[in-house]
Amino acid sequence: MNDQWIELNIGPQHPSMHGVLRLKAKLDGEIIRELEPVIGYLHRNAEKLCEMGFYCDNLIYFDRMDYVGAMNMEVGYLEAAEKILGVPPPDRAKWIRVIIAELSRIAAHLVWAGAYGLDLGMLTPFFYCFAEREKILTIFTEACGSRQETNYMSIGGVYQDFNDKIIQEIKDFLETFPKRLEEIYNLYVKNDVFLSRTKGIGVLSKEVAIAYGVTGPMLRASGVEYDVRRAEPYLFYDKVNFEIPISHKGDNLARFLVRFEEMRQSLRIIKQGLEKLPEGPYFNPKAKKSMMIRLRGDGEYYARTESSKGEFGVYIVADGGVKPYRVRVRSPTFKNLSILPVLSKDVMLADMIAISGSIDLVFGEIDR
Amino acid sequence: MNILHWIYGVLSFLGHDIGYALAYIIESIILLIFVSVMLIFMIYLFRKYMARVQQRIGPNRVGKFGSLQLIADALKLMGKEIIFPKERDDLPYKVAPYIVFFGLILAFAFLPYGNLSIFGNLTITYSDVSIIFIFAILAIMPIGEVLAGIGSHNKYALMGALRSVAKDVSFEVPMMLSVLAIVMMASARTPTSLSLESIVTTEILPYGILEPIGLFVFFIAMIARASYAPFDMGESDSELVSGYSTEYTGMRFALFYIGLFGSIFLGSLLIALLYIGGFNGPFSSQIGFIWLMVKGLILVLISFTIWLSMPRIRIDRLVNAGWKYLLPISFINLVLAGVLTLGLGW
Repeated sequence: MNDQWIELNIGPQHPSMHGVLRLKAKLDGEIIRELEPVIGYLHRNAEKLCEMGFYCDNLIYFDRMDYVGAMNMEVGYLEAAEKILGVPPPDRAKWIRVIIAELSRIAAHLVWAGAYGLDLGMLTPFFYCFAEREKILTIFTEACGSRQETNYMSIGGVYQDFNDKIIQEIKDFLETFPKRLEEIYNLYVKNDVFLSRTKGIGVLSKEVAIAYGVTGPMLRASGVEYDVRRAEPYLFYDKVNFEIPISHKGDNLARFLVRFEEMRQSLRIIKQGLEKLPEGPYFNPKAKKSMMIRLRGDGEYYARTESSKGEFGVYIVADGGVKPYRVRVRSPTFKNLSILPVLSKDVMLADMIAISGSIDLVFGEIDR
Repeated sequence: MNILHWIYGVLSFLGHDIGYALAYIIESIILLIFVSVMLIFMIYLFRKYMARVQQRIGPNRVGKFGSLQLIADALKLMGKEIIFPKERDDLPYKVAPYIVFFGLILAFAFLPYGNLSIFGNLTITYSDVSIIFIFAILAIMPIGEVLAGIGSHNKYALMGALRSVAKDVSFEVPMMLSVLAIVMMASARTPTSLSLESIVTTEILPYGILEPIGLFVFFIAMIARASYAPFDMGESDSELVSGYSTEYTGMRFALFYIGLFGSIFLGSLLIALLYIGGFNGPFSSQIGFIWLMVKGLILVLISFTIWLSMPRIRIDRLVNAGWKYLLPISFINLVLAGVLTLGLGW
């Protein structure tokens, strides 16, 4: 520690620390020499709480992990829990889950896209993104009566079937959204100041990304074509056509472009899902609502899914009881955050904010 | 005939000495009221315009179309508990907002406002060197920002103040050089070429047409001076919380906030006067003041649009832009102005 350096505490209450990240930074003028993230301000003991609840109850803790894209968390938990309990969902429920999970991915990416503008000092795109996200949340409200912590899926299916109104709303969204998405996209990438803040800043190489266990859009922006939806398909992701966007640049702009391309691919998946949505039951009769808490499971299972932030893993150990013995979550954002001190070494303070924004931090998931 | 004489005409029954003394006081009060009303209107305009740009509604609860929202906000700020940081440097901390605010008001006193029907010329203070005075006042305002940064005893505030100074120093020189070009061109036509009034009244074509480069440089320097995106270095709200105003609450914070909008308004009026003809226009002997305000407000709206659509530029790039690009460009502008004046006799 040089005595000319300033020690600066950024967060936990700071406008651009998404949620409650605290960074201990040592600054040499405007340049960051050392950076240490401090986490745990949003710790709610979710993994331990899961041991005390029935399998069907635990879903609510997963809603509150990645609260901007809650449906993907539910998919992750149910992938594991349903295997343990032996109540696979029927086809219609699986397709509904695909559609809803992709909508949720778009919603999460929109929050990120808006907040990234705020990180860089750009006020306007935030509202454009949230106006679009609002339409997705309206669809969720129609489906389950809740906007953010949805609790829509349930063991053996989904809580409510899609009715015609929801399908119509999704179709309307598919029609209007691509145009708006391009508008938001152009607001960013046609702005030279934005490009100067993102191009070549925070370059993450392929090797470092793999070594730190970075997943999701961050990994794909560094040139690794890895997506759990393709590598180890769950639900019906092997039956839909979509591309995995990758970029070899690894900088902030690459992460931005990859996320926007992912939203376009999600739209493709939703469209195919609506076409292939079969008639039939939306709920496994074995997991009737009145019987759900009596379901017992044995063994252990690790399920991994692709959430909007990266590879989301849920590991459940069961001991034959009605409650899980142990639940462990592999949080993608936690692994992605570990790259921040590496990327922010010897960069300017403003660039560090741009890099931490590009990681897409959601603290519900990091602290759990 | 100007507004001072008009007021004196009303008060002439009091005799020469008392009449003029009262007239000066009333004139100052009119200026204060005018500037305050314009600033309140501008903040209201900004909030409504921002809402339109961002597909929101904006203030609409207090008064018709939310027009009294600003007054409600000001009352709220006055009623707030004032929190002083414990280890502040007392005098700089307390004085800083007033330096920023009253420096701003002073600059308004030296602008030429043109004519308005029976009141005659609305200019408050005549000076043959008003340009020097206005830009000297503009150089005082950063001192207030630095004092706020140092006095707050807060690292964010200090860094905000340092950024603010770096920005001001690198844009002050190009700004003055582009003004110098105008003074040079005006000196061919008027002996008092340092007076804004005579620069505007003696122009043949708006200087923005003769010196587009100067307009460009001056506009950018004014964005930096007023400190909004992409050059909002003093605040940098996503990096430095709120820059030099981090530790301020209540009315002192409001003074900084008003100072920001005041700088935008002042900058727009200066651009209007120097580059797009100011109060010149059809019937300018009757409604020159209205021409100036219309041009100023159009420039204000352009500024808002820039503000709302730009991210913040990085501080090192900003300083580079000032010294490496704007400064050479403004030298070229100066040479071109010399060629136009001496060579072509414009």
